[in-house]
Amino acid sequence: MATYADLELVKYLCCCKKKFSVCRLYLCKYCLQLRCTDCTQHEVDTPYCPHCLENMPSGEAKLKKNRCSNCFDCPVCGHTLVTRSTSHTSPSPDDPTKTIAKKMYYMACGFCRWTTRDVGLPDQSVASGSWPILQNPHEQRISSLLENYKIMAQIEKAEHERKKYVSRRSHLYRQDKYGGSAAGLRRKGMSTFSSMSSTESKVPGELEPSVTVDSFEPLPNEYFTEPAALVKTTKLAHRHSVPEFQPTEISKLHPIHKHLLMRKSLRCKECEHNVSKADFNPSSIKFKIQLTAQHHVPEIRILTPSTFTMNKETIVTLTLSNPSVFGMTVSLHPIEDESDTDYCSAKVELPKKELLLAGRDEPSMQMYDDSSQADEFKDDPKVIVFRKGNKIGFVVKVTPVVNEGDVKIQFMMKHEFRNTTAAALQSESKEPEIVWLEHKVYMNLGPIAKKDPNVSQA
Amino acid sequence: MTYCKLLAAHSYNQVQAKTEFEDFTQADKRSLYGDQLGSMSFLEGLSIVDEPKIIIVDIGAAYTKCGLAGETGPRCIIASQVRNPRTKEVDNIWNYSNTSELYESLKELVYALIFKHLLVTPKDRRVVVVESLLCPSEFRETLARVLFKQFEVGSVLFASSHLLSLLTLGTNTGLVMDIGFKETLVVPIYEGIPIMKGWQSLPVAGKAIESRIKTQLMEHGTVSTSEQKFEAVSSVPESITDDVIEDIKVRCCFVTDFSRGQQIQEVTMRGGHANKLPPPPPDIDYPLDGGSILNVSGRIREHSCEVLFEQDNEEISIATLLLEALVKCPIDTRRVLSSSVVIIGGTAMMPGFYHRLNCELIELLRKPHYANQLGVKQFRFYRPPTKENYTAWLGGALTGALETLPSKSLSRDAYLQRGKLPDWCCVDSDDLCEEKRHKL
Repeated sequence: MATYADLELVKYLCCCKKKFSVCRLYLCKYCLQLRCTDCTQHEVDTPYCPHCLENMPSGEAKLKKNRCSNCFDCPVCGHTLVTRSTSHTSPSPDDPTKTIAKKMYYMACGFCRWTTRDVGLPDQSVASGSWPILQNPHEQRISSLLENYKIMAQIEKAEHERKKYVSRRSHLYRQDKYGGSAAGLRRKGMSTFSSMSSTESKVPGELEPSVTVDSFEPLPNEYFTEPAALVKTTKLAHRHSVPEFQPTEISKLHPIHKHLLMRKSLRCKECEHNVSKADFNPSSIKFKIQLTAQHHVPEIRILTPSTFTMNKETIVTLTLSNPSVFGMTVSLHPIEDESDTDYCSAKVELPKKELLLAGRDEPSMQMYDDSSQADEFKDDPKVIVFRKGNKIGFVVKVTPVVNEGDVKIQFMMKHEFRNTTAAALQSESKEPEIVWLEHKVYMNLGPIAKKDPNVSQA
Repeated sequence: MTYCKLLAAHSYNQVQAKTEFEDFTQADKRSLYGDQLGSMSFLEGLSIVDEPKIIIVDIGAAYTKCGLAGETGPRCIIASQVRNPRTKEVDNIWNYSNTSELYESLKELVYALIFKHLLVTPKDRRVVVVESLLCPSEFRETLARVLFKQFEVGSVLFASSHLLSLLTLGTNTGLVMDIGFKETLVVPIYEGIPIMKGWQSLPVAGKAIESRIKTQLMEHGTVSTSEQKFEAVSSVPESITDDVIEDIKVRCCFVTDFSRGQQIQEVTMRGGHANKLPPPPPDIDYPLDGGSILNVSGRIREHSCEVLFEQDNEEISIATLLLEALVKCPIDTRRVLSSSVVIIGGTAMMPGFYHRLNCELIELLRKPHYANQLGVKQFRFYRPPTKENYTAWLGGALTGALETLPSKSLSRDAYLQRGKLPDWCCVDSDDLCEEKRHKL
C-alpha cells in the first residue's frame, strides 16, 4: 500500500513542461500558472545560525564570511562544540600567599571528545568571542597584489574612456594648445592637484614579482623509516574545511566558526511576485507568503490498487480533495492532442458531470456524516463512491491498450479558483473573482498483470 | 596556429597602444589620470559596501573551488559530485552521458555552491569561471546555459587557469604546469600570451596515482578482520571504495626521492631483480569501516606516485612535459620561462613532489637530447602565495575584484542575443565581449 502514497505516481504539468507531484509545485496567484523550483527565482532572505538560531543581518553575514561568531564546529568530526568551564587557581597579585579562583573556559566536542586543549589552545577567560582568529600568512602579499592590479585596471579603464572622448571631440584638444578652452583650463587645474594625490606615487610596475627558488628540501628521513602516523594526519575533508590553511597535522586544527544557513524566498520568474517567503524568525516554521500548489489546487490520489489486463475495462477509484475553505467545482476532460506518448498506455473514461467538492473545514472534519452529505450534493452513486468532508472518491474506467509495463493515463483537470489577489479584489465590488484553472494531470496506475495461466482466473 | 597569429597581432596592437601612451609627457599623464585616480580610490571605499561581490568558481575534475572576489581564499572546496537524478547515486559531474544530464547536475552543483556555501542571490551578479584550456566546449557551453538561463547571472568571464595563476605572482611570464586530478597540462605563457604551440599534456595526475594504488591493493593487499587474518583484498573488493583509495593517497603515500625512484623504476619498469629495490618504508595498518584492518604495504606507499615520473613508450613523463614545452617555445623565451616555473593543482601537494620534480628535471637536462636543444642548466620555481589546489582560483579572485571585469566579461544580453560563447579556438568570437563591441 505504501506505493499508493508515493508522490511520484500522480504528477501535474508545470508551465515549463516538466512533471512534478503537486507538493513540489507552486501556484503563482498573479500569472495563475503552476511553477516548479526551476521556474522560480531563488533569493537569499535571512542568514541565521543553525545552532543558536539567531538571525544575522546580511551585511554582517557578508563581513563575517557567513559564519556565526559564537558557535563553533569540531574540526575533526563537524559536531557542534560545547563550552566548558573550569576553575583555575592562580596566586593573587596582591598577596602571593593567597590564591584566587578564576573561571576559565575551553571547548569540547561531545561526540569525538576533541577539546581545544588537545591542540594547545589556551583556555579563555570569557565564555565566547575571544578565540584567536587565524590569519592567512599570505594576506599582505595578496592585498598588495590586488592594490597594484586595481591601479592598473583603473588606468586601463581611464585610457579606454579617454579614447572614446578623444575620438568624439578631437577639436577641443587642438584648441588646448593655445590654452583657451575651458576643458583645457580644467585639465591644467587638475595637474596642480594631482601632485598631492596619494596614489600618484604608486605607478604600476612597482610590483615585485614573487621570488623563485631553485632547490627544495628533500623528504625528511622519517618517511622511509617510520610508519605514517595516521592518527596525527588530517584527512582531505579536514583540510578542505579550512581552504586557506589546509593543515596536514591534527595538532594544527582549530575550531571552525559555524557556517550559517539561510532562509530562502522564491519569486515567480515571470511576474517577480513572491510565491514563498518564510517568517523572519528562524525558529518559526510559519510562512509570510506560501503559495504552494497543494494549498490551492485539488489533489488527486489513487485510492486502491487495481489489477489490469489488456483491453479489459477496469474500474479505478481515485480520490479528490479540495484544499480551499470554499466549495469547489472540478471537471475532468480528456486531452485532445495527446502529445505525450509516454502517458497514453490506456484509454480512460472520465466522469462526465462536474464534481462538486465541499470546502475544507478543519474543526468539523471528523463530524461529517457520509450519508447526509451525499444527499446534500445529490451524488450519483455510480460516479461518486464516497464523500467525506472536503474529499470525494470517484471512479474512472480504464482500459489498457498495451500488454506490458505500467498503465499510465493523462487528463485535463479544470477547477474553480478564488483569486484573492489585491488586483483582482479591487476590480469588482471586493468580491473574489472566480476563475477556472486548467492543469494537465499524469498518473501511473500500476503495472499490467502478468499473464500467468496458473493465477489468471483467480 | 591561427590563434598564435591572432594573439601575436593582438599583442602587437597592445604594444602600439602602449607606445602611443608613452608619447604623452609625464605631466600630461598626471593631469589625465592623477586626479581621476585620487577620486576613484576615494569612491572605492564606499562602493565596496553595497557592490555585490563577484562569484569565482573553479570546477575541477575532482574538487570545486568557490568563493567571492577579493578574498584571500575560497569559501569552500567541495567534491565535484552531485546526486544523479536518473541513477540516484552520487556521481562526479564529469561523468555525463549527454548535455542534458550535465545541465541537471551542474544546476545541482551551482545551486549548492550559491545557496549552501556562498549564501548570495545569483540574479544579475557577475561570475568568473576558472577553466582549463582543454575544457570541452560542450561543458563550458552547458555551464554558461546553467548560469545565464537558470540562475540569471549578469555576466560570465571564462578565464584560463594558467593565465590566472600568474596573477597571483605579480608576473606575466611563466611556464605553468597544472597537475590536478585527471591530467597534467603545461602551458608556457610569455608576457601574458599563452604560447599555444608549446602546450603539452599527459593524462597522468592524481587519478593515475589512485588507480595504481587500487591495482596494487587488489594484487597484494590484505584485509584482517576479527574472524579472518590476511584475507586477500580481491575477495572483498567492495571494502575498497574510492574514498578509501583517496584517503590512502593523501595520508599514506608520498613521492620518494630521485635515487630510490630510479631503483624502483629499474625493477618495476625494466624488469630488474627485486632484491635491487630499496628497503621499503614500514607498512601501515589502515582501519576500514566495520573493524577490519587493511594492510597498506610500504611498497604501495612509495611506488604509487612513481606513475608520475615513469616514462612511457614515448619517453614522456610529467617532467619531460616541461622540457618538451620549452623546446617548442621560441628560442629567446626559453631562458626566462625556465627560470619561472609555476606548479598548480592539488597533486603537487603530495609530500616530496617538488624535490623529486626538480631532481628529475636536472637529470633530464643532462641528457644529450635536451642538453643540445636547450641551453638551460636548471629550473627556478615560483611559490604562489596559496596552496597549490586553489592558486588558479585566487587568480580569478584577483581578476574579479578589478574594475575592468565588466568590459572583459560576456554579458547576459550578449549571450542571449548571440547564443554562443567566446572561445579561444574560435576566430569570430572576439566581438562578443562588451569592450570589443563598443569599438565596433
